[in-house]
Amino acid sequence: MPGKLIIPAATRRRILKTGTALGGLALAPLGFVRGAWAEEGPLGTFPVKGDTVKFGFCVPQTGAYADEGADELRAYQLAVKHLNEGGGVLETLKPSKLTGQGVLGKKVDYVTGDTQTNPDAARTAAQRMIERDGVIMFSGGSSSAVAIAQQYLAQEKSVVFMCALTHSNDTTGKDRRRYGFRHFFNAYMSGVALGPILAEDYGKDRRAYHLTADYTWGHTQYDSMKQATEKQGWTTVNNIMTPLGSTDYSQFLTAVLNSDADVLVLNHYGKDMVNSLTQASQFGMRDIDKNGKKMQIVVPLYSELMAKGAGDNIEGVLGTANFNEKLDDAGSQAFIKTFTDEYGFPPSQAAHTAYVQTLLYANACETAGTFYPPEVIKALEGFECEGIGPGKALYRAEDHQNFHDILVVKGKAPSERKDQYDLLEIVKHVPRAEIEYPADTFPGELGPYKPA
Amino acid sequence: MGRSPFAADLIAVGLFAAVVLTMPVWIVWIGGYEALATKIVIWAVFALGFDILLGFTGYLSFGHAAFFGTAAYTTGLCLKHLSADILPAFFITGGVSLVVAFVIGLLTLRRSGIYFSILTLAFAEMLHAAALSILQAYTGGDNGLTMHTKPELLGIRMEGLNVFYLAAIVAILGFFAARQIKRSPFGLMLRAIKENAMRLEYTGVNVWAYKMAAYMISAMYASLAGFLMVVLEPYVATKFLHWSTSGEVVIMSVIGGVNTLIGPMIGAAFMLYFENVIQAFIGEQWRLVLGLVFVLIVIFLPGGFVDGFNRIRRAVGLGGRERHHNVPDAPAPVRENRGDRAARQPGE
Repeated sequence: MPGKLIIPAATRRRILKTGTALGGLALAPLGFVRGAWAEEGPLGTFPVKGDTVKFGFCVPQTGAYADEGADELRAYQLAVKHLNEGGGVLETLKPSKLTGQGVLGKKVDYVTGDTQTNPDAARTAAQRMIERDGVIMFSGGSSSAVAIAQQYLAQEKSVVFMCALTHSNDTTGKDRRRYGFRHFFNAYMSGVALGPILAEDYGKDRRAYHLTADYTWGHTQYDSMKQATEKQGWTTVNNIMTPLGSTDYSQFLTAVLNSDADVLVLNHYGKDMVNSLTQASQFGMRDIDKNGKKMQIVVPLYSELMAKGAGDNIEGVLGTANFNEKLDDAGSQAFIKTFTDEYGFPPSQAAHTAYVQTLLYANACETAGTFYPPEVIKALEGFECEGIGPGKALYRAEDHQNFHDILVVKGKAPSERKDQYDLLEIVKHVPRAEIEYPADTFPGELGPYKPA
Repeated sequence: MGRSPFAADLIAVGLFAAVVLTMPVWIVWIGGYEALATKIVIWAVFALGFDILLGFTGYLSFGHAAFFGTAAYTTGLCLKHLSADILPAFFITGGVSLVVAFVIGLLTLRRSGIYFSILTLAFAEMLHAAALSILQAYTGGDNGLTMHTKPELLGIRMEGLNVFYLAAIVAILGFFAARQIKRSPFGLMLRAIKENAMRLEYTGVNVWAYKMAAYMISAMYASLAGFLMVVLEPYVATKFLHWSTSGEVVIMSVIGGVNTLIGPMIGAAFMLYFENVIQAFIGEQWRLVLGLVFVLIVIFLPGGFVDGFNRIRRAVGLGGRERHHNVPDAPAPVRENRGDRAARQPGE
């Protein structure tokens, strides 16, 4: 049904475009704008009035993921600065239509909100941005539950949502939405990347015990890690769901100690992971032998901020990451350098994805020649670029998941660290081809470009 | 005052209606927006119903989220699986809420004071835990209940101002009904429960039945609010069942002024305005500031905003009402006996 509705519109537009292009070279740019306006009626917060365009940045300022939120916000502010004044990744992104003088001739402005790491509060904050501030796009994270709730809101309101920190398979799987895009990798990719390395380092006959944050991200990461490790011959002993934002994990850790498991997998993130890993160390799990092997802890999703919070406990702990401040490709370096110059310390992966998402959205607007959401979405779908990180990154049209190289990382011992930010070492650079999967692995539907 | 009580009611409700119905206009002047106005009105309904229980009977329920959340989930499931029209959802939600309120009331109203509060809290937390565990398949767990439905009422799309006016009408009717209850013999009984339930029992009144009635009325207001919340946004968050939702409505009542009906609604407006508009100015530390505001109000203005308003009126010589701690309109001799300050100041 939607297909039938869309094709004639696209055709009409193409005819219109062709017509305008034939109209004359000198008038062509003007013609494009006019042509666009003629067809594109008001939708969501479109059209943008005045000479500034507003983005909404919705990050957790309170709750379990507040540290990630603060870093995201720094990255968003930097992205806006670069969009208006040039610099940073604008110089490495290819193909790029970004001018460094705003977007489509309008200066970029932004508003912020607090998601409180809570889907309801996040929706309220986003709604404020859409209704009162008229943002043309909103972006943010973390917590996949928050991202998914906002994605539905985005679809409802016809305002594009650029997901930042969300790692659940559901975000671009069962809950994928036409108005939502995710640059960050997901739990499935973590499993595929991490599985072989775990088997290599710890052996193929390990018994794993999972502690999992009880919401969409935790659930899908547990599934993906279970699948990936069992493929390597591991046994899954048990899994306990722990409430998001728990501070005391002793009851769960006692259960782990009393079992015959010799690997503990912590499907936790943010402050949850800092707490559970620290407490696991206090329980002596880093120094005991189980089944004649040294007990190991795995944190499938790792971040610099968590490593900082968990301190010396991260030594030798393996995990995956979307980005690391030691990457040496031109795009990563451009970002790392400008971020460090601005704030005095290197960015986290949360900051990287937030920054990149803002730029990719802005670039899509320039490419489409309009802020009209369906056209911007079409410009993002299937968009492949380089210069935002290692290798080429592709926005898959079928599920709005971005595919790019990811990293397997390991916590550094205190003695190996050069400075207080030197916490993780890159164990393996996992190329995009290894972590790609068919779009129908997780069934879901994007929904229409335009509300019926 | 020479006016009949009913006329006074009409004036009060008329004023209230005027303020509420124009809210989408004036809220924009103070940095708000349409959806915030709708949310304020919905929470006002919730707080209003809460005041019927807390203000009249003195029973502090710390588990009103149970009704708000259950109604929201029921409405959400109806809209998602049954029909996009909100009428079937309305009736089913009403039925379910009545049953839930009756059952919880049956089990909690045998106790009073802190025991009642804890029991209600326990039931609400049980429902919250159930929504996150055994009912996860239906409620969507921590993700909340997501859907693609666009709610409508008899073919009219329920969005934007349509939802606002629906909520506003509910709030105005709810306010009118609450004032009628307050003035009725039934309302007097409820206030007598607050004064001395045991004495009332000895006079042969079935106190339990009155408490139950008040509890269920209050629960229905909460359910209506939960229902409207989902009509406004076809999404149900687990937070609707969380104890913090129960806590929020208690705080709204306290900072607005318990037992004034209008007070808790003002409290609701203040809280939401703070959380959504002022928050953006303060940034990360907004919760700290909000906490400070509560502390200041409870210390210096225990009767809430309404008490503050009356104090100002008295100060400028307009004769605002004194705060009554107990039976609100006890006759003068009673107050004299109790030694109320109001009765001791005849010159005022």
